[in-house]
Amino acid sequence: MTAIAAEHGVHMTPAPPGPRGIRRLLAPGYVRCLWTIPLMFGFGAGIAALVRWLEAWHPVWNGTVITTISLATIPLGFLGGIGGFDYWLGYAIGRPTQPEDHSGHGARSWKDYFRVNTDHKVIGIQYVATTFVFFIIGGLMAMLVRAELAKPGGQFVDSQTYNSLFSIHAALMIFLFIIPVFAGLGNYVIPLMIGAPDMAFPRLNALSYWLLPIAGVMFASSVLVPGGGFATGWTGYAPLASHQPLGQVFFNMGVQWAGASSIMTALNFLVTIITMRAPGMTFWRMPLLVWANFTTSLLVVIATPFIAGSQFFAMFDRVMHTHFFDPIGGGYALGYQHIFWFYSHPAVYIMMLPGFGIVSEVISTFARKPVFGYRLMAFSLVAILILGFSVWAHHMFVAGMAPWLRVPMMVTTLLIAIPTGIKVFSWLATLWEGRIKFTTPMLFALGFVSMFLIGGLSGIYLGSVPIDIHASDTYFIVAHIHYVLFGGSLFTIFAGLYYWFPKMTGRMYNERLGKIHFWMTLVFFNATFFPMHYLGLQGMPRRVYDYAPRFAGINMFISICSFILGASALLFLYNMITSWVRGPLAVGNPWRANSLEWQVSSPPPIFNFDAIPTVVAGPYEYGVPGARHAIMADEAKTADSVHAEAEEVRH
Amino acid sequence: MEAHAAAEQHHGPPPANVSSRIDARVLGMLLFIGSEIMLFGSFFTAYFFVRVVNHDSWPAKGTHLPVFVAGINTAILVTSSFTMHWALTSIKRGNRAGMRAGLALTFFMGLTFLLTQIAEYSRIGFAPNDSAFATIFFSLTGLHGMHVFIGLLLLLAATIRAFRGHYTPEHHHGVEIPGIYWHFVDVMWIVVYVTVYVL
Repeated sequence: MTAIAAEHGVHMTPAPPGPRGIRRLLAPGYVRCLWTIPLMFGFGAGIAALVRWLEAWHPVWNGTVITTISLATIPLGFLGGIGGFDYWLGYAIGRPTQPEDHSGHGARSWKDYFRVNTDHKVIGIQYVATTFVFFIIGGLMAMLVRAELAKPGGQFVDSQTYNSLFSIHAALMIFLFIIPVFAGLGNYVIPLMIGAPDMAFPRLNALSYWLLPIAGVMFASSVLVPGGGFATGWTGYAPLASHQPLGQVFFNMGVQWAGASSIMTALNFLVTIITMRAPGMTFWRMPLLVWANFTTSLLVVIATPFIAGSQFFAMFDRVMHTHFFDPIGGGYALGYQHIFWFYSHPAVYIMMLPGFGIVSEVISTFARKPVFGYRLMAFSLVAILILGFSVWAHHMFVAGMAPWLRVPMMVTTLLIAIPTGIKVFSWLATLWEGRIKFTTPMLFALGFVSMFLIGGLSGIYLGSVPIDIHASDTYFIVAHIHYVLFGGSLFTIFAGLYYWFPKMTGRMYNERLGKIHFWMTLVFFNATFFPMHYLGLQGMPRRVYDYAPRFAGINMFISICSFILGASALLFLYNMITSWVRGPLAVGNPWRANSLEWQVSSPPPIFNFDAIPTVVAGPYEYGVPGARHAIMADEAKTADSVHAEAEEVRH
Repeated sequence: MEAHAAAEQHHGPPPANVSSRIDARVLGMLLFIGSEIMLFGSFFTAYFFVRVVNHDSWPAKGTHLPVFVAGINTAILVTSSFTMHWALTSIKRGNRAGMRAGLALTFFMGLTFLLTQIAEYSRIGFAPNDSAFATIFFSLTGLHGMHVFIGLLLLLAATIRAFRGHYTPEHHHGVEIPGIYWHFVDVMWIVVYVTVYVL
């Protein structure tokens, strides 16, 4: 990084000398965690023991209770140790307020990525790198699942281990990969796109990143506790979850940390987009990626508290033997599913809308055409946001819920196909007669449109009650979810990473490897997941480690294809890492794109802009002679005259 | 060129454009409260399932809720919202003593509320795992208690800062934003009190 910074003439102040000796115990950093973590652990365990002693509950030292509380207190100790709370604690005891002095901005060496940093660009890279670590762990678990399923009968894991393998795979992919990787890309790109020097709350931004590895470590480490990892699927249905080994609590608490992280980031995005847009950047001139993250953030802020609630209830039922969902004590067993899906269906759009935004950017840039129906594209995002809250019970057609709820939920579910269809047709119309350049991001965007179409169509099947009753809990569901989350979300993530790789690293990726990666992914993705539609309709149940011998041949085929699919991810990682280290240097705007992030150097200057640019038109005016999206602060002009010009435009 | 060199000297970002009339911190707090309302919403959903869908007896047979004591507690909390408002209007007019008194009074009334609730828990005669009613009772009031606790932490910070000479008629976000949160905690308690104790 330092070399690139020097090559691009980015000014980096030398790092201030770090604390030495005993002072390192007091300065923010991992050394301070050595006492903050035990302190918070002792505090939590002590409170638990005190309450149990006062209430005369036996035993006073209860392992389950202490573990549960520690899953809250140890992370707090860690966050305090690395310095996530330093400013606010100082504020609370009356230190003068300091506007963030930005001295910690930028990364001077790779070590800075392991520290609390308030620069949105550093945080964006921290997010993406962290999520890919959990993507690899989750992917390896998928490989183990496929290895177990290669032949009928048990191969090398028992049923409980198998259940926890696919549960952790799903929890990591959903909560630690797809949702936060979009937050990471958004973190890097959104302030640049709207012409802001940083996010609205840089310290909160840093804190919300650091909650994420906590959640991931919690999910992954649940395999180490007695009884094994959580084994209820990522849905963690109660009352089943209330009678599981201790690993279940790691899921309940991990979701809280990941959820808190995503709520804080979403809040930050919303405030940034509302209050920090460059002069002239009206809502109707925002790039669609900003629109997509705006609607996604609204979904996150409104819906995520419901999964927090559902996990608290399930955890209390398990640890404190309360009666939220336990029918014997008067609880309502179906309540968990209602509360859970009220978040988790909107969560499907949380995992998809940012991808829609990425694809709009990529397709418009590489087709050299304005996005077709820009306003309708934005309105359809809002329509999905609103409709998304009215469809949750379509996950429960066979759960025994009130029968009158089925048809309304089916109708609203099918209605969502309309705004989604608008988007698909708008992308096709954008491509129509465009001068298409088949770069790797474009290939992934086109792959996304076709794969997501298949996933969307099987979604319409599953949305209709009769087909859902037949296909529920079969491999048809597995095929559907992977077509929308792998063929959908992951393809857009790849498109976005290739697209912004030059901007984020200052270097170009290897186009040939990128294309090989795309074709390998596309072919073996379909070879892996398409046959699952057939398996499901033939009645092979999901979430079972054994199956009928008549499915043996097709499962072996799927397993082999899935291993090649897994290998294609290694090709991607190889390309990313080697290109980051020694790829050819990237120019500021290799794709000749219009939006603001491409008008600065690659990687962007430490504070994004010398002076805030002025936006004069929409972001997709490709092929329109003389059209400009923004007027940048020119080299020849001083910062002041640009501001005066900006003032004029505003008045 | 000199101005350009000077711009590089100051080592700070260019000032961001202000594209909305609402203050970023106030907007952040309002969005956070929106999220909090949904969290309460999930707890009220659980309440709805037990009380409306399941028709469990409310309160459970053989138990009763201290409606009167909780009512007095409600009055204390509602009053504390007015003292909070007093603190804010005082500092807006430059009356530091009024702000300090208002913040301190609000803090101690909030503390009284919380301690009364803890006392109520220990004498109420049933435990969270006795029945679905008890579960919902403790979870809703406990969730609200957690919010009172967080509100008290925010108020404590504001009070300490007020006594150490911070805040002016122009800069009082440190009073205003905890105040918004405190009003939210108050309104939420009225909803919890009416649904859990009165109805």
